Amino acid sequence: MSAVGAKPQAGGAMDMPATIAGIILLLVIIGATYFLVGPGLMFMALIGIIIGGLAIAFGVHFVPVGGAPAAMGQAPGIATGVAMLAAGAGLAGLFGGAWAAEQGLVVAVVTGAVGGGLMMAITCMFVTFIYVYGMGIPCASGKVAKDPITGDTQAEFKSQGTEGHGLPFVSYVGGVIGGLLGGGGGTLIYLMLLDVYKDALPGMMKALPAQVLPIAVSLAGIFAVGMFLVNAVLTAYNITGTIEGPHDPKFKRFPRALVASAVASALCGMVAILIVAM
Amino acid sequence: MTVKVEVIEGGVPHNTILAAGLVASLVLIYLTYANVLSGTQLFSFFGGLGAVAALIWGSHAIKHLCSYGIGTGVPSAGMMAFGSGIIAMLFATKYGVAAPIVAVILAAIIGAILGFLSNNVLNMRIPVMIQSLIEMAIIGALVLMGFAAMMTGSFEFSPLTSGTVSVLGLSLPSYQASFIGGSLIAVAFMLGGIAIQHPFNACLGPNWTQDRMLMLAAECGFLSMIAVSVMSMALINIVAAIVSLVVSLIGWYYTYIKYIELSKRDAASWLDSKPIPDVEGH
Repeated sequence: MSAVGAKPQAGGAMDMPATIAGIILLLVIIGATYFLVGPGLMFMALIGIIIGGLAIAFGVHFVPVGGAPAAMGQAPGIATGVAMLAAGAGLAGLFGGAWAAEQGLVVAVVTGAVGGGLMMAITCMFVTFIYVYGMGIPCASGKVAKDPITGDTQAEFKSQGTEGHGLPFVSYVGGVIGGLLGGGGGTLIYLMLLDVYKDALPGMMKALPAQVLPIAVSLAGIFAVGMFLVNAVLTAYNITGTIEGPHDPKFKRFPRALVASAVASALCGMVAILIVAM
Repeated sequence: MTVKVEVIEGGVPHNTILAAGLVASLVLIYLTYANVLSGTQLFSFFGGLGAVAALIWGSHAIKHLCSYGIGTGVPSAGMMAFGSGIIAMLFATKYGVAAPIVAVILAAIIGAILGFLSNNVLNMRIPVMIQSLIEMAIIGALVLMGFAAMMTGSFEFSPLTSGTVSVLGLSLPSYQASFIGGSLIAVAFMLGGIAIQHPFNACLGPNWTQDRMLMLAAECGFLSMIAVSVMSMALINIVAAIVSLVVSLIGWYYTYIKYIELSKRDAASWLDSKPIPDVEGH
């Protein structure tokens, strides 16, 4: 990227032939996994991984990403890139959820979601402190005339020549929802892989389950991180730069990201499962 | 559809760097196999050098992709490289001596599918997108494999997952004292991820020069290699780890000095400041 910053003109439209090709690819991957490992724990894990990937991709769209313009007070959102922000929130959630892995699926996923949401809530709060008290700018959205949640008007607070600035209330709420979905999705991927590895590794390495537990945890963790980053970056490519939150027109692009992330999660999940199945 | 905002002017063409990086990285990672042939662990440092070769190629691949202005920041490309590369690399370790080759092929397949998804399904329409994501995935896989080989002396699944701990003079097998079981892989992931995205992120701009960025990439690679060689002390014998440490320190010092020289060459002017200023008149 250069300072000139010519943004790619990726349209909001869906490329139908490519989308259909993507869906066919998804079905082929799911079919191939079913053929290779059969119905059972591993196949269900793949489905769980795809659901987790979808939650991550959908969640990232909620996160208010401002990038460099936000750092200069010229666009609303948190002043960093999508990948960094999503990784921060999602991985915080994933680590939180991993602690609760012993408590069962629902508790662990909810814990992960709360971890991610908490991380985003704290981030958004301090970002707002810095914007308001550090940089001296009010929070105003440039994309909507009224905040959809509070109904506050935005235009009189918006400086001329900017796209808005600071972190409007709806963006804050969006960030927390994004953190919830991202943390929950990341934790779901981790738990699915952990179950597969705990089940298959003792036989494969001819060791006691307790002995290979560190390997199962580490493999599942690093794969979950890898898949999280792949999904987050694909979603970042869908957003192309900055988004204000759920009220932004770019939010309507999310169906494309769901297709892409389902295929990517299925692909990565298949390889991760085949490590112990082949 | 997109405007290419920066053209690579002069310097080595990207395809040359691609070929050199791929071949050098593969050959250097394979040189760690001399450990098995000679029965020592002294050749582990070749893995780190292979990772450095892949990182140099990687920083130029990021430059190649990000010169189109993807709008998501340079670090996202590095995260993508390692997120997809780690999956290919771990799967490939099961194939024994063929692991690096399998990693390259599998990473290329994963990268091609991710490239198709971003270019067509997500409608990015960047001409080099598919090729770049293929390169990224291969680079991620090779860097991780290089660091794994440097830390453990091997790139195969069982040495990566099992180690030994000494208890009262007895050496017992342990899965926790290993590259994967001890989660050293997560550290290698981040060391590589920082090293791959930093050079272009730091050097981009109107006065970008190729040799300066590539030298910074090598410097970052060696810096990561120092950390990896320190961690390798836990897994391989101390003499081999110290050889790795010395090699990486020498490589880092050389590339750092060269990078400072190149920075001074490209700078408009500079002022050499001293840590403690001389007191005048006394």
